[in-house]
Amino acid sequence: MGFATDAIHAGQHPDLETGAVITPIHMTTTYAQEELGKNKGYAYGRTSNLTRQSLEANVAALEKGKYGIAFSSGIAAINALMSLVKAGDHIVVSDNVYGGVYRLFENFLSDYSLEFSWVNMNNLQNVVDAVKPNTKIVYAETPTNPMLTITDISELAKICKERNLISIVDNTFMSPYFQNPLLLGADIVVHSSTKYLNGHSDVIGGMVVTNSDTIHKRIRFVQNAAGAIPSPFDCWLTLRATKTLAVRMKQHNENAIKIAEYFRDKEYIQKIYYPGLSDHPDHELAKKQMSGFGGMISVDLGDAEKAKNFLKNVKIFTLAESLGGVESLVCHPATMTHASVPKVERERLGITDSLVRLSVGIEDVEDLILDIENAMK
Amino acid sequence: MSSKNNNKSKDTDFDNSKYSMDTKVIYGKNISNKWDYAHHVTAPISSSTTFRLDSVERGAHGFMQFANSKEFGDESPIFIYDRLGEPNKDLLEENLAFVENGEMAVTFATGMGAISAVLGILCKTGDEIITHATLYGCTISLFNNWYPRYDIKVHAVDLTNLENIHTVLTEKTKVVYFESPANPNMDIIDIQELKKVVDEINKNRTNENKIQIVIDNTFATPFCQRPLEFGADFVIHSLTKGIGGFGTDMGGVVIGRKEYRDLLLLYRKDFGAVLNTKSAWAILTYGLPTLGLRQRQQIDSAMKIAQFLENHPKISFVNYPGLESYKHYETAKKQMIDFNGNFAPGSLIYFALKGKDAAECKLNGSKFMNYVADNAYTMTLAVSLGHTRTLIEHPASMTHSVVPPDELEKRGLDAGGVRLAIGLESTNDILMDIEDSLNSFDK
Repeated sequence: MGFATDAIHAGQHPDLETGAVITPIHMTTTYAQEELGKNKGYAYGRTSNLTRQSLEANVAALEKGKYGIAFSSGIAAINALMSLVKAGDHIVVSDNVYGGVYRLFENFLSDYSLEFSWVNMNNLQNVVDAVKPNTKIVYAETPTNPMLTITDISELAKICKERNLISIVDNTFMSPYFQNPLLLGADIVVHSSTKYLNGHSDVIGGMVVTNSDTIHKRIRFVQNAAGAIPSPFDCWLTLRATKTLAVRMKQHNENAIKIAEYFRDKEYIQKIYYPGLSDHPDHELAKKQMSGFGGMISVDLGDAEKAKNFLKNVKIFTLAESLGGVESLVCHPATMTHASVPKVERERLGITDSLVRLSVGIEDVEDLILDIENAMK
Repeated sequence: MSSKNNNKSKDTDFDNSKYSMDTKVIYGKNISNKWDYAHHVTAPISSSTTFRLDSVERGAHGFMQFANSKEFGDESPIFIYDRLGEPNKDLLEENLAFVENGEMAVTFATGMGAISAVLGILCKTGDEIITHATLYGCTISLFNNWYPRYDIKVHAVDLTNLENIHTVLTEKTKVVYFESPANPNMDIIDIQELKKVVDEINKNRTNENKIQIVIDNTFATPFCQRPLEFGADFVIHSLTKGIGGFGTDMGGVVIGRKEYRDLLLLYRKDFGAVLNTKSAWAILTYGLPTLGLRQRQQIDSAMKIAQFLENHPKISFVNYPGLESYKHYETAKKQMIDFNGNFAPGSLIYFALKGKDAAECKLNGSKFMNYVADNAYTMTLAVSLGHTRTLIEHPASMTHSVVPPDELEKRGLDAGGVRLAIGLESTNDILMDIEDSLNSFDK
């Protein structure tokens, strides 16, 4: 089936009892058991919930995977993935990931004797060089947040397969509409479904998708054992949102391309990061593994004061964390999304105090451009 | 779901009569053929506007079966489209009928949706309705603004004296409609005595011409009063109030004899005031099961507050059915009875402040309410009632603003009257705020 068809139908068959075309919100926390040891496959809401199962099957289909496992946040999903390793194991991580991942790994999981190496995955030789005998996972985000550099997923997957490592790709920025890491050989895709999957800035959620039976078994176990599940209502809202993912992503992409083009020759821009521009260093690679370039743009205004003024003066763009919603957002990575990354490390990556990250929404693009123009005056 | 457990839900012979109503409002009738999610201890929320019909034949059967119990009896419904019916409303309706001791219930989007539906199926052009003079403002508006268009005459009389029925009774009278306690002045209508009067009139009437008794039981809630047991033909509720109980959802219901369910369903389908499934679910899950708990607390507070007001030098009168001094105390005591047989005078109080003349009474009432609006932590100036929060309002300018100043008296309203709907706060906290507010101005 095509993407838009799957988005609307996968995982959602009419209610068996009533024929209800739309999946009910299964609000129960517990299920009556017929007798000891006998139930209808449902015993407790944390373990199994039909609305959640529908969402999991739906997103799994969109990511061309066998299994979807839903969590209460993207970070909860990533934390669950770290249960694939144990104390003493080593994980190679892209040096430019969401700040919350850095915080989770370096300031929390390192206390449990997990070891992390942070490398630039724009050049995969760095991954090869970082692998040690105790390495178990390679974790990448592509395009990266907020620098929008690209990692070659097929190449990364190949390196991992040869060395028997699990490859994880955070696909939040592209959404399954523009990129399917599993098709490119990755073992696991992870999402903050708070972003494009839900797309309306009203649900926090995370999602893991994989084809591997063993990985599924472990993560499914952790979902129940550690308990970071999303509520049935949030699952229902997200399920409602994936139905429009295709049309939303098309518009995010179209608007972002126009805004990136607009930025290109503006003298107040010191640097622009958007993989859709032909002079982006990874443009060709992006074209190879993505079917669009998404709605995220970062621009360096060259001067922290200028960035501050821009953030203050925009009217349609809202200064806020998060991304992927229908409304345009703008943020200051150095003090917001990536504040947990040490300053030296930030500067090295290009997350300067004058860098601004735009999450381009699906408003009329003329209005967005006018808003940017006015804020820059 | 209405089942005590999965096995019980399948057991049509299960006898729940030995259980108290408090217990039964949580489980309902204990049997439902409406949605086989009996193993879900809490019902799912139906979220589909439309339902897949396996075949044209099943679709055709569904349409024939809809609102046609004569031919199809009680067979399990075939769901077609939310406006015609879906599981959450059905589950709620079973429990609402049960708690009011009625044969059936049909829910609506709001209380006004329910009122217009029940009168819509009972009256046609040329018919007449007798009502109590004191009614909720929007009900008055329905009668004054719309019924003249249909040439349905509405006679408002004082039904606390049942003799008054005969002053407006005609061959065309089809319905006696009232609230008890009445909104906002807490008038109490003697339901059993009214039933006797209507029975006497109906003796000489053919079935289709018999007068039906319709009571809006919103102020009492089924916890305090079950009018069908006293002979009323229909009970209506604004579910938004005491039954919903949390101020989160709008809703209405008509409860009565089985023979009217088809007509009400048809009316709902064609006029479209359908209760939202998510609201039905919330009322089913949160509202109804906590009704007894909430009402007991609210009545307990209301009684103490009414007594406090009664003894306060700045208060001119207090209408609360629980006060022995109240003129309708005896009637209230007879018919406002809780699930356990105790006197249950409800959670609403109507009172006014003193003044040297009517204008000053009204001014003092306004001062009091404005002080409350600005300063009271436990009271909110807002319409509605039966909420977790204590709500206070000025009927003459708010809920009953449809009544012109020169008709207030005729409608049983005091120009400065204050309506207080007690919430779930600590009683002493509400009392403290009332006392402070009364002390906030001189005289």
